[in-house]
Amino acid sequence: MRKNIDRIQRNEERKESLIDSLRLPKDICMGAMKVTMTGNREAWIENYRGLLEYTERQILLQGRTCQVCFEGTRLSIDYYTNEDMKISGCISCIRYI
Amino acid sequence: MIRFLKYMKGYLRVRVWGFSPERFMNLCSNKGILLWDIVREGDVYYMNITLKGFWELRPIVKKTGTRVAILERYGLPFFLPKLLKRKMFVAGLFLTIAFWLVSSLFIWDIKLNGNYQITEDVFRSFLKQNQVRIGMRQDELDIEELEKQIRRQFPQITWASARLEGTRLLIDIKENDAPLTTDKPETTSGTDLVAEYDGRIVSIIVRNGVPKVGIDDMVEKGAILVEGKVPVYNEDTTLREYQYVDADADILLEHGMDFTASLPLNHTEKKYTGREKSSHYIKLGDRSWSLPQDRPFLVYDSVIRESRPLMLERLSVPAFWGTVTYREYQNVEYKYTEEEAKAHLNQKLMDFLAELEEKGVQIIEKDVRIERNADVWVLTGEFLVQEPVGKSTETERIEAGETEGNG
Repeated sequence: MRKNIDRIQRNEERKESLIDSLRLPKDICMGAMKVTMTGNREAWIENYRGLLEYTERQILLQGRTCQVCFEGTRLSIDYYTNEDMKISGCISCIRYI
Repeated sequence: MIRFLKYMKGYLRVRVWGFSPERFMNLCSNKGILLWDIVREGDVYYMNITLKGFWELRPIVKKTGTRVAILERYGLPFFLPKLLKRKMFVAGLFLTIAFWLVSSLFIWDIKLNGNYQITEDVFRSFLKQNQVRIGMRQDELDIEELEKQIRRQFPQITWASARLEGTRLLIDIKENDAPLTTDKPETTSGTDLVAEYDGRIVSIIVRNGVPKVGIDDMVEKGAILVEGKVPVYNEDTTLREYQYVDADADILLEHGMDFTASLPLNHTEKKYTGREKSSHYIKLGDRSWSLPQDRPFLVYDSVIRESRPLMLERLSVPAFWGTVTYREYQNVEYKYTEEEAKAHLNQKLMDFLAELEEKGVQIIEKDVRIERNADVWVLTGEFLVQEPVGKSTETERIEAGETEGNG
């Protein structure tokens, strides 16, 4: 089991160095989520799969490789489309799970 | 822009609740339905959704086990039917638009530019003759024909251009700066050049006619200088006939000239006391309204400033507002000092000399004195000048029979 995790990690590193040397955009090729923040009030998120949970205090998003949790108060979604979304409110914490 | 598009297409504020609203949102975004302003209150979500998206919601709602209720409707698709119910309003709107469209088919103002000699009234009456008037239809106006007519009617206009700018007809013209040369009739009864003053001829250059005087001749006023009656001789030097021409010559005559100017010692001057009052008025067409006012001062003059708002000027509405400022003054008697008097008189002299110069008069000698009489300053000047002379008068005709008799 431990060996398996090591192998996956090595694979990931190799992939990353390849993408780096080919100068490809990382967010698309690695399926990483792209989060742009203005202070702690607004956040633009691209490259996600879907919304898992939405309350006033927490928004949980499903990405291709991981989940991201925005915590804060008075959170609201300004718009939500297939490509991108905007969260506004008082964001206190972003956690990658 | 995006807000405008949303408004045009119409959108709804909806309330979503039920088993899995998050899944509902994911499915919406997967289907390309735009959601915005999503707010959660307790177990209920409020969000905006496009009208088009709303029609596609049914399968999603079924799949996710949620319920959707419409709270409010926004946008043109909902506003229009409501609007159409208000019949008078819609009628008024259409009437307004129709009025705009119809009135933009007419000419509401005519502006003339570049006229110096031709007065506006003359031009207006010309336009009236040519059926160009305020309130005519634009398509009745043939601009090229109008330009041609302008040039034909007014020979002094060298260039004319008319154009329509909105509902305004702009006519630009350029007048000939040089004086008009009217063709003289070929056959003339002949004219002489006659001296206008007593004096001495300084130079004479004759272009047409028979000179009757020479350089250094003394002439009297009214004497014929150049005669317009040219004798034609036979081969045996006998006179056959006279040809009558318009005498034409450059003649310089030297003669004396006097100039006097006087200035009374005392004069009255306005002395403003600095006290001013102003009143305002509004003018519509020829009628004006202002607040009633007593006579502001015992002795005063007034300055009127009138203007009209830019918008009304654009629309050619004859509405003005203005201010009248009354300035009080006192009549004060002054006595000219010697310097002031001399300056005034010298100015008068300068004006006179400038006038002479304009006529082409050369001054050979001058003698100017300023003296003070009992209660006036007097300037007397004596000049010796050289002046171009020659006044045209009819040539005295000799009867044809007589000429033949002589010949």
